Amino acid sequence: MTTHEVATDRRLGGWRRYVHILGVCWRAAVAQQLEYRADLLAKTLMSAFWLAWAAIGVSVYFRFTGDIGGWSYGGVLVVVGMFFAVNGARQAFLEPNLSLMHDYVRRGTLDHVLTQPVDSQLLVSLRHVGMHNLVDPLLGLVLVVVGVGVTGTVPTAGDVTASALLFVAALALLYALVLALMSLAVLLVGGDELGTVSFSVVELSRFPVQAYRQPLQTLLVVVPVAFLTTLPASALLGRLDPVWLLVSPVVAAAAVAAASLGWRRVLRRYTGASA
Amino acid sequence: MAETGLAAPAARTVRMPSAWAGLVRSSVQVALTYRGRMVLWVLSGFFPLLLMAVWLTVVDESGPPAGWTTGDFLSYYAAAAVMWHLSGQHVVWEWDADLRSGDLSTRLLRPMHPFGQYAAGDLGHRLVLLTGLLPALALATVVVPGLDYDLTPARAALTLAAVVLAYALSLLMASTVALVGFWSTQTTNLWMLWWGIGSFCSGWVAPLELMPSWLQQVARVLPFWATLGFPVELLSGRLAPGEVAAGFGVGLAWTAAFAGLYVLGWRHGIRRFQAVAG
Repeated sequence: MTTHEVATDRRLGGWRRYVHILGVCWRAAVAQQLEYRADLLAKTLMSAFWLAWAAIGVSVYFRFTGDIGGWSYGGVLVVVGMFFAVNGARQAFLEPNLSLMHDYVRRGTLDHVLTQPVDSQLLVSLRHVGMHNLVDPLLGLVLVVVGVGVTGTVPTAGDVTASALLFVAALALLYALVLALMSLAVLLVGGDELGTVSFSVVELSRFPVQAYRQPLQTLLVVVPVAFLTTLPASALLGRLDPVWLLVSPVVAAAAVAAASLGWRRVLRRYTGASA
Repeated sequence: MAETGLAAPAARTVRMPSAWAGLVRSSVQVALTYRGRMVLWVLSGFFPLLLMAVWLTVVDESGPPAGWTTGDFLSYYAAAAVMWHLSGQHVVWEWDADLRSGDLSTRLLRPMHPFGQYAAGDLGHRLVLLTGLLPALALATVVVPGLDYDLTPARAALTLAAVVLAYALSLLMASTVALVGFWSTQTTNLWMLWWGIGSFCSGWVAPLELMPSWLQQVARVLPFWATLGFPVELLSGRLAPGEVAAGFGVGLAWTAAFAGLYVLGWRHGIRRFQAVAG
């Protein structure tokens, strides 16, 4: 960031300043990755391939049954679509930053980040963006629409709004998880495999939690896998217990607040690596 | 390697068996050094168990699909989860990285064909994983009710042979695809595409018996089933003697075919190689 830009965003207040800073960072990241266009195209095609792979893959179960845990093939497709959307968002916005954290701590880059006149949490957690998976949420959305079509239900405006709300809560929850992992990376001085944890949690949300038997099913509600895809998909299909509309945003907000507090706590104990 | 001309002169001066042994030993030590990484990596391979969990729900709710009981699914997926870690496909990423960075030049200077270097490096990791995972699988058969292989000495020996064949085939298949790196920068994507399509035939997406019958017939002659489903089903005792013979036949034929393709691809590819760095 140039001095001029810093001066500009000092004049902006509060969240508008954050948005401005993120805009600058993301434009730079996108410009850099757009230089490899063939690679970008290949990665996009691969995303579409994996989407088709997942949709065809789950169809094997439905050769032998009409529904699994109360979910028909169309319903499962909605969940798989949500999974692609959440996972794509993770890969595009969270993973590039989490994978750098290990280096930040080990090489002392974190010291440099901390001296910048911007909130450190914003810079470490959202600065980088991966272009390769930006299309995944859109592809996932297409599968969601296809899945809804297969079930034959027509969502009301209320269902769509509820689903969107739960989806945003899911993203916030995932953000909190990744931020907590980043704090852990500072504490452990390293941990370049922490990405595996966030990958695994999201991977578990590939199926609706009702497709698993007890006690795994309840466990996946507690370990908030159910919040990621099962709840937004249920809302869209009009089969959600309305209480989750309250629980999910509260859980997500609490998780973000806790992770944010954790990050600050950890920084207070951080002694620096480059000095 | 003698035919490449590049690594040939020095190659004759090294006794190959001892070089292989040394490289495998060193890769075993590398694997043992990063034990934590290995454990995490094993844990991240839980995907087959996820697929299994859904099948168990199907059995509970709608009865055994195609006669597959809970025990059948447990036995199949536990073995499949182990087999997943014995694949030789990781060499694709090593080839890709070395072709991009130019580190292949360094490998060309060593008195052993790069295939051997990658294979030996990979084999050590597989051996370490196997020594950890085999006892784990044996323990699982004791602890988990319904998970049982009812193994006879003859079938144990045949399964071991099938596992070796699966590894050799997947290693040669991956190495052959990796050679595409001489012509294109999309090797890893190509491999993922190849693997992804193959996963419907290999027994990864679901046991082959649960697939549509036309797909089963196609899969019996394609190379994928021999790399995963064949050793797993052999271990579970699901295969008739004729199917076992056919499985070995198809697997061996594809191994030979990919060995030939590899030699051919290497001869043409290496001529195109221009070191990027070194």
